[in-house]
Amino acid sequence: MREFNETIIEVEQDGTPSGQPLGISHAPSRCGELFARYKERNMPAFIGYLPFGFPDTELSLEAFRTMVDNGVDIVEIGLPYSDPVMDGPVIQAASQIALRNGERIADVFRAVETVANAGGIPLIMSYWNLIFHYGVERFAADFANAGGAGLITPDLIPDEAGEWIEASDRHGLDRIFLVSPDSTDERLRIVAKNARGFVYAASRMGVTGERDTINASPERLVARARAAGAQNVCVGIGVSTPQQGATVGQYADGVIVGSALVHTLLDDQGDVKDPVQGMGALANTTASLAEAIHHCRL
Amino acid sequence: MLDELVAGALEDQQARARETSLDELKAMAAQAPAPRDAKRWLRHDDGIPVIAEIKRASPSKGHLTDIQHPGELAAEYAAGGASAISVLTEGRRFLGSLADLDEVRAAVDIPVLRKDFITTDYQIWEARAHGADLVLLIVAALGDDELVHLLALTHELGMTALVETHTREEIDRAIAAGAQVIGINARNLKNLRVDVGTYRELAHNLPDDVIKVAESGVFGAVEVQDYGRAGADAVLVGEGVATADDHELAVQRLVKAGATVKASEQTPLSTHEGPYFGEYGGRYVPEALVSALDELERVYAQAKADPEFHKELARLNRQYVGRPSPLTEAPRFAERIKERTGLDARVFLKREDLNHTGAHKINNAIGQALLVKRMGKTRVIAETGAGQHGVATATVCAMMGLKCRIYMGQIDARRQALNVARMRMLGAEVVEVTLGDRILKDAINEALRDWVTNVKDTHYLLGTVAGPHPFPAMVRDFQKIIGEEAKEQLQEWYGIDHPDAICACVGGGSNAIGIMNAFLDDDRVNLYGFEAGGEGPESGRHAIRFAPGTGELGMFQGAKSYLLENSEGQTLDTYSISAGLDYASVGPEHAWLKDIGRVTYSWATDGEAMSAFKDLCETEGIIPAIESSHAIAGAYKAALDLKAKGYEHPVMIINVSGRGDKDMNTAGKWFGYLTDEQSKALEANGAQGNNA
Repeated sequence: MREFNETIIEVEQDGTPSGQPLGISHAPSRCGELFARYKERNMPAFIGYLPFGFPDTELSLEAFRTMVDNGVDIVEIGLPYSDPVMDGPVIQAASQIALRNGERIADVFRAVETVANAGGIPLIMSYWNLIFHYGVERFAADFANAGGAGLITPDLIPDEAGEWIEASDRHGLDRIFLVSPDSTDERLRIVAKNARGFVYAASRMGVTGERDTINASPERLVARARAAGAQNVCVGIGVSTPQQGATVGQYADGVIVGSALVHTLLDDQGDVKDPVQGMGALANTTASLAEAIHHCRL
Repeated sequence: MLDELVAGALEDQQARARETSLDELKAMAAQAPAPRDAKRWLRHDDGIPVIAEIKRASPSKGHLTDIQHPGELAAEYAAGGASAISVLTEGRRFLGSLADLDEVRAAVDIPVLRKDFITTDYQIWEARAHGADLVLLIVAALGDDELVHLLALTHELGMTALVETHTREEIDRAIAAGAQVIGINARNLKNLRVDVGTYRELAHNLPDDVIKVAESGVFGAVEVQDYGRAGADAVLVGEGVATADDHELAVQRLVKAGATVKASEQTPLSTHEGPYFGEYGGRYVPEALVSALDELERVYAQAKADPEFHKELARLNRQYVGRPSPLTEAPRFAERIKERTGLDARVFLKREDLNHTGAHKINNAIGQALLVKRMGKTRVIAETGAGQHGVATATVCAMMGLKCRIYMGQIDARRQALNVARMRMLGAEVVEVTLGDRILKDAINEALRDWVTNVKDTHYLLGTVAGPHPFPAMVRDFQKIIGEEAKEQLQEWYGIDHPDAICACVGGGSNAIGIMNAFLDDDRVNLYGFEAGGEGPESGRHAIRFAPGTGELGMFQGAKSYLLENSEGQTLDTYSISAGLDYASVGPEHAWLKDIGRVTYSWATDGEAMSAFKDLCETEGIIPAIESSHAIAGAYKAALDLKAKGYEHPVMIINVSGRGDKDMNTAGKWFGYLTDEQSKALEANGAQGNNA
């Protein structure tokens, strides 16, 4: 017996609802919900980055827990990549250490679970080829199952994101695209329209890494992104001290810190520190950043 | 199930007929707005029309979404670029109605499809009376005579029928009945996924004038692209748009995906523009580079349309580069080919080695440097592997007074110390990259990081037909002069109308695209590209991207193409005796030309390349670059292929993309012409050649 479109299929597949492709998930954005709560309290969120598998898989799980325990609201779990064009020397070095120590993409879901269990919101930051190679739909399914909330995609612009938009819609995952100070209003509109969760505003032109000063451009960029329709805008790249975090937190919905946290696990030579010392330093740095960011508007 | 739905629909129709007679319907139909010719909306050269559906529920998925105002939803679809609106009027399982149809008809000017289980004349008249332009006819629900009859009535009323099919047999019945628009349901009944393979099989060999609509499982951009590449003219989508948060945006994305597919397959090949070559190419870059790429694209488009730009480029090519480069006949080398393969070919060499700076790289460097001037930028950065592109860039920057920085992997810089010195002589700053694997790809990464940081005053002068759009198409345009000259020279100098074969080496692929472009649309010309085989495909030490078991589809340094990567998606180390071919990915146009079978790709190993290097030196007194030697080695393989194809006296052109002076140390060591002492002395100088 046969009938039109998917109605046929229903007959033959009745009882196996899992056989149907997922429709659009209308689950609310987890980041979006957090920002809504924090806005009521007039407080910016603290988003912390570390590469997964750095210094090795087990220690990185401990590091993610440490971050959440010390005040990180949203954890940006970086997937180490051989060719990270948006990263400066510190994160490049950390990624290489992770790769040398046998980091594997299939294990990253353990980090996702760790963050979720600790009470943080897990995001993954990944260069696109890693996700593409794993399989976009497969990655979205595994990531959502592990409790993941969304992806930050430093080298995927909305124009190329068709497959990811579809998969993230089906699995209710956030899509975090970047904008930079020289993005035109038109580009800001395109990003805002396709983003889910928040928009990642780069504080300056360039790659990740610590800086002594932050100029005024991120404040303008945040305002422009909002005018272009972005609901939540977080600022990252070059934010490394509590004071900088507090300044940025005045106007951004969230403050993203990466290299400064990575740095706590490395010694002056760029080698991995003793783990106990490293975790202590990570806890201290995280706590003082959290304190400064969360209380900056009081 | 179908029987039940059909019976239900018929029962409902009979109930309506008690309220409204067929004559009354006919009177209504006479008053209805004239039907639109839906066929004109459902096939376009530059896009894949989207039929967006008003869909509340389906028997398989149950309730999907509340639609209070179908007219408003239809208007949103139309604003997103839908070509037609499908309205489910079945009420029992799909929760639709004729009132929905009325509302939609009043709200949009594009064709409207009545989707129901239609088996009677009454339902067809009803559709027309309510302003429909299209009706759905399900082959499985109709006998042949019924199908013919209902189809004829539909056409008589000026409407179009979307005739739905599931099997090849149903498709044949539909065509026999005179269907002009065929809906193909290609869902894999086992896993319910859209199966493009099934679609291809079903849609195979349909008459050209039949419009093919992919009807099942279209949800987002992925399916539109898959069906589009499989040859569907239009798609019908329900849930994916009806349940979206932003209906207009959801349709827009599908329309854009369809336009992308169509643009990516446009011919003629020689003038194909990016951003996509088939499914390859694009702009996989940080958002921070988008403005710069947009600017480059805009400025290049202006330059391309400006005769003054072409005049200046031609002048520099003639007076500075020394173009045209000669096309030299190589009879003694042809003799070797004959000895080795038995094929009696005439062989010609395109002499890019005679350009200023000794390779084809300068063609592109000059073109882009002129664009730098037009953009008003003052600083140029570039990557280099063997140093040829770095030298060409440093050269044109010196000539035009531009600040220049060249990134070079530390390993490459050490094995090409003399080229580093050359670049420094020319006023360039050479930065040795100590990150990553310290080879070409790492130099490109570092150049990209520089560009992201300094994009305002800096142009990244990429050296090959890879990277993000517009580089692949733009660099090709600057290199295509190679093939254009060769074609003309073959005719004017040698009185030969066209070559039978072209051989070129392929790293990123710029010299190969350069010589092939003029012949891409001439099927008489066999095209051969040769990758760096290193120690052979099984050795794991090579830069072969196209052979089975080597490259995979991936994104690398701005473009989607074939890529050498490990099981984790991390870029693999590559190896070749020639630094210039030692790259993990390949230009997207080559990937496309491979897929469509226009170019035959193979490889030459280190050993084959070095042996060919020697052959050309000995027979013609020409020392080719080791990169180009891969094309020369390839000529033997191409000759065998031509012979197998039945050619007896073919004309072959080999692109000698560069000269081999830079490679003398490598060659000296390879052939044992250097004593240990000499070799050591060279190594102490850091000038030991590029197989160190």
